[in-house]
Amino acid sequence: MKKVGLLTAAMMFAGLTTVNAQLIDEKDVTVTLDLQPVLQLDMSTPDQIEFVFDDIDEYYAGITHYGATILKVSSTVSWDLYAVGRSTGTNGPEFWDQQIDYGNSNPNAQPNLPLSLLELRQAQPNNGDGAAVGAFSDYSGAFSPSSVPAGGNSLYVNGGTNTAPTANDKYIAGHAGTSGIAGQDFMEGGSYMNQNGVNSNYYYVIDYRILPGLPAIFPMAFDADGATAEDLVSVNGAGAYAEPGVYTMYVQYILLEDQ
Amino acid sequence: MNTTPQIKSLFSLVVFLLLFVVAHAQVHCGLVQIEPNTSVNAMMSFDSFTKYQGGYVINGVARIKVRVEDKAIADPLCSWNLIMTIDNNPAAGTPVAEWEELNQYGSGLGQNPTIDALEIRVRNSCGTSPIDGLFTTFTNNMDVIDIIAPMLPVTPAGTCALNTNGPGSYLSHYDEFNFTVDIRVKPGFRFNPGIFQLNIKFRLEENI
Repeated sequence: MKKVGLLTAAMMFAGLTTVNAQLIDEKDVTVTLDLQPVLQLDMSTPDQIEFVFDDIDEYYAGITHYGATILKVSSTVSWDLYAVGRSTGTNGPEFWDQQIDYGNSNPNAQPNLPLSLLELRQAQPNNGDGAAVGAFSDYSGAFSPSSVPAGGNSLYVNGGTNTAPTANDKYIAGHAGTSGIAGQDFMEGGSYMNQNGVNSNYYYVIDYRILPGLPAIFPMAFDADGATAEDLVSVNGAGAYAEPGVYTMYVQYILLEDQ
Repeated sequence: MNTTPQIKSLFSLVVFLLLFVVAHAQVHCGLVQIEPNTSVNAMMSFDSFTKYQGGYVINGVARIKVRVEDKAIADPLCSWNLIMTIDNNPAAGTPVAEWEELNQYGSGLGQNPTIDALEIRVRNSCGTSPIDGLFTTFTNNMDVIDIIAPMLPVTPAGTCALNTNGPGSYLSHYDEFNFTVDIRVKPGFRFNPGIFQLNIKFRLEENI
């Protein structure tokens, strides 16, 4: 019986030393994804848009440049688009730069013309303004008749800076806030290049108007939320009017990730 | 006569024989190997609308060259399987269905890329895999996709047959034992910008 036991032990030893595991081999493929944010604003516009008021009708009715600027957006991230009026600050951060003045120095002739006297109108309404709380969320309303002063199209200005508008103010597309809910305060990533149909949330045609009125007080100038008039009489008192001369300013269009 | 030691010895012998048989039943092949089995790093950089819109394809990002050999005394049960699994490093806190975030650009208010944004295609000249030539996707971490499924009946090499899993090598049967891996990502405009990572693990096993 001892022999059987020894044989068993020997075979177990031999058996254990020849036990093999399942054969396996592996190979790894690591994929790294670098998603770089691309925000692209293509703008078709003249280098300079001139408003020359040399006829009394133009003072009354204003001058409108239709479709002077076309904005085309491509963005890989959720985005907002707004316009802000700016100048070099010669006359102050919220005023047009007076390059030259004509005429005398009548105390009622005001050289400080508010940047907000410029009106914008966008053809495509803002479809990302659900969270807006102001009276005007964008510039899509029609230009107001000269006899009815209104701030629905007056350009957003913020102390001469390019700071983004608040929920009370105007955006071209998207709005203030980060709700994460589509249509509330941002536009979804996309591009004008693959849009169909006549209208697109990635394509904006901008009209410009300046309406001086007579006397030239710029009745369509309003503050950022469109609630407070900034025409020359409201700001400077009765009798004020715009000093004749050459003035310049610029409109900055800012495309940025939803914020 | 004392019969107890005899019974114990016989019992031990039977147990050993069972163990011996079972242990050796797991090994039918002499060699199971991917060559080379070094890791591959693929970078997919999206820096233009063309890439975001059209997607980015890397054909032949890796080649899985299989080599399975019989033992010295050939075992007719020697066969193999090849699977791939996805790993998003959940230990780093990665949600189960997303890519691992290495770095983020911008505000990060949107959705990180989901695992199903990565499409994988495995192919060889004979089309031996049932998913040959098809872009497939994973959904969650550790999901498995069979290239040659486990525990299939043995299909010998040399006939360019579906599910070929008998012994052979890319050296002798290149069209059946070489698998080319392609990857594609078409992110669109849904995801947060940033740097993200996934690991695809190819696992070759002998069938037991």
